[in-house]
Amino acid sequence: MNVWPLKFRETPDGGIVFADDAGGFFKSDEGFLRRYSNDSLNASDLAFLRDGGHSFGKEFDLPWTSFAYRWSRRQSRPQQLSYVILVPTLRCNLACGYCQVSRASEAARGFDWTADTLRDVLAYLGSLETTDIKVEFQGGEPMLRIDILEEVRTFCRSRFREAQFVVCTNLQCLGSRELAFLEADDTFVSTSLDGDRATHERQRTHESVRTNEFFDNLDHVVGRFGPGKVSALPTIDVDNPPDFPALLDNFENYGIHSVYLRPVNHQGFARKLKQGTNVLARWNRIHADFIDLLVDRNCRTGRFMEEYYFSQCLKRVLQLGTDNHVDIRNPNFFASDYLVVDHDGRLYPTDEARMQSRIGRIDLSIGSVTDGLDLAKVALLNTSSLNNFDPDCIHCVYQPFCGTDVIDDVSRYGRVDVPRPDTWFCGRHTAVFDKVFELIYRRDEAVRQSLAHWAGVSSWAEEMAPAHS
Amino acid sequence: MIPLRIKVDANADEPFVVRLRSFEGSVAGDIPIALDARDVVLERVSDAAEYRGEGGCIRVHGIDPSQIDGDVLLVNPHRGSADRLVRASSPHNTFLVTERCDQLCVMCSQPPKAHHVDLFAHFEAAALLAPEGATIGISGGEPTLYKEELLNFLVQTMGKRTDLRFHILTNGQHFDELDMPMMRSLERERIVWGVPLYCRSPEVHDEIVGKQGAHARLVETLGFLCRAGAQIELRTVLMKRNAPGLTALARFITSTLPFIQTWAIMQLESIGYARQNWQRLFHDSSAEFDGVGRALDLVRSRGIEAQLYNFPLCTVPASYRHLAPPTISDWKRAYLDECRDCTIKDGCGGFFEWHPKKHGYAKLGAQS
Repeated sequence: MNVWPLKFRETPDGGIVFADDAGGFFKSDEGFLRRYSNDSLNASDLAFLRDGGHSFGKEFDLPWTSFAYRWSRRQSRPQQLSYVILVPTLRCNLACGYCQVSRASEAARGFDWTADTLRDVLAYLGSLETTDIKVEFQGGEPMLRIDILEEVRTFCRSRFREAQFVVCTNLQCLGSRELAFLEADDTFVSTSLDGDRATHERQRTHESVRTNEFFDNLDHVVGRFGPGKVSALPTIDVDNPPDFPALLDNFENYGIHSVYLRPVNHQGFARKLKQGTNVLARWNRIHADFIDLLVDRNCRTGRFMEEYYFSQCLKRVLQLGTDNHVDIRNPNFFASDYLVVDHDGRLYPTDEARMQSRIGRIDLSIGSVTDGLDLAKVALLNTSSLNNFDPDCIHCVYQPFCGTDVIDDVSRYGRVDVPRPDTWFCGRHTAVFDKVFELIYRRDEAVRQSLAHWAGVSSWAEEMAPAHS
Repeated sequence: MIPLRIKVDANADEPFVVRLRSFEGSVAGDIPIALDARDVVLERVSDAAEYRGEGGCIRVHGIDPSQIDGDVLLVNPHRGSADRLVRASSPHNTFLVTERCDQLCVMCSQPPKAHHVDLFAHFEAAALLAPEGATIGISGGEPTLYKEELLNFLVQTMGKRTDLRFHILTNGQHFDELDMPMMRSLERERIVWGVPLYCRSPEVHDEIVGKQGAHARLVETLGFLCRAGAQIELRTVLMKRNAPGLTALARFITSTLPFIQTWAIMQLESIGYARQNWQRLFHDSSAEFDGVGRALDLVRSRGIEAQLYNFPLCTVPASYRHLAPPTISDWKRAYLDECRDCTIKDGCGGFFEWHPKKHGYAKLGAQS
């Protein structure tokens, strides 16, 4: 019998988590590790490894084939370009201190698509091979150019078999034309809701009139179109986090049960924010505590809410092919299934890459709607967009579940070859997966209820967390 | 029950395939669709419905023509009957390609026979006349005992009718590497292979199917099907003998069979050997659902689809009912008197027509 290579990591309770390259995992102890490393596995070890798909008899037998299948399903497949983020204007009617985009003021000139840019964008969209498309309108505040949004939507509806639209809006100004735009079944709203009213005002709106505008509009949109219409994201200032129980109450109040907790992004104006030392450790603590808060709240109320990114990471541990979130997948090749069209018609692989270019740090544009994709540049970026051969990742037990983010590395360190454990990306994800495994192996009814809900099953039982001693 | 065999008079020597067309309500001479050479058109209805086509006339007894419009029949003139190979109004059409089998399952609903009549030519003719987009079931006996004929049949019909799909039941005992090129030449998205695996334990599986070494051979075949890119519906009939091993089987699926399209846990059908052995075999999942639920949850937690086939909805706890689609074929589906006022009847597949009134589910009619 041949045992596939196992990677491992100690857990705070003294146990050890093991995983193979195809993401098969289990928990065991030091005794097993010793037997494994000394090549002295006993019959019970071998039976356990066989049952768990961690070994095979010979090439092409069923266990070998299954492992190959699982490994290949863990790799994110390049797909057709079918998701575009459009930035029709960089102007905004808010001035958030942590704005990631270095937005332009509402009255500024020269920050919107020109008629020529719009024409070229539509021609570019028309040239895509996909039959279905998802369009996300970003900004600035895209609602300031409702006329462009209408034109793009009309074009996409006639050009594609299926088209879906998401307007990322601060919901500050909703007139009848904007509301009519949002009314369509194929159109959704994504907004920022930073927690309770006080936090939202402190971080975003700065004055009560504008805070009222926002909450009145949010009430109106949810009330008129139903809860499925709106998703919302809170941005968390590590130095001054919101009252999290109040944040959850507020989200639930608007019918939003999935909360994607994001730290202030190290981009744009946010680069100037001083967040003190040890930001990563403090963020990881905040996030882990938030998960515990959710578990308790879910158990207490019987109404289940989730932290979107944690659920995503949990699913990446448990399931194959959970590659639908662009922030965590591997390989994470650029411009394969989505890209960003900026206010001047330039193409970027991600929104963060756009911001890097905007602040003049590095030009990460990969072409324009008129000239098309700069494939040589995309290929250059892609050389660092996989973790399979990273000298640190190959030893990490979480490698099959994790991803890469070369843009974040460039943003923070100005280079792509920083030792992985020294990066924000690695520190953040190691902590998230530590928390995932802590919960998976916690024998606690409250935790199991939440895990079941987040994994999409009726109940969570012990056999879902394989263990061997 | 919907009749699958009907009484027919025909003046011919050999069995033949026809498609019945009624065109009721259309003006004579104004038939809207081009006719196939095998189409026969309803001319008049007296004591029987009379159809006429290029090859002559047939008379159909005892069924209203409106119920069989578009049906494809295999007419057996000597017996004076016809098998409704394709019922145009039904999604449940299955070709029984042989009654021979190399296994002898304790619960077999269709106990095997030694005799075999090769009807592939008729099946091909019938498939080509099936309604647009139809899915055709292939069953037995064991269809792959005639593997060469079966694969040729698939190549032919799938080439000529690119809209057809197939669902093929096989015990997975007869594929070998030499079949790989042909398997790969078939459009894999259009075929689902229904393969039974009853237990992780080879001894229990072999005992259930009545064949030594069947489990080992099946395991090889599952690897073969994965490498062929085949879509697999793994089928596990639930019985007293294998119910205790359901969690171990679920774990095996998550670690070793993650490539299956779906895992179907199936309730027992009280016919054939299952009827004879009912007391010994039937696992009352309404009284003991825990193991079934745990197995479903384990497999689904790993992102693998798992469903309950042939489970009346009211025997399933509410939180699992969305996994129990109505799977009992229309022609053998029945509801009990108690079902009359049931609020969840619409989404329920009911019972097999022959489900025993005694020795059934202890907890019928649970509404929550």
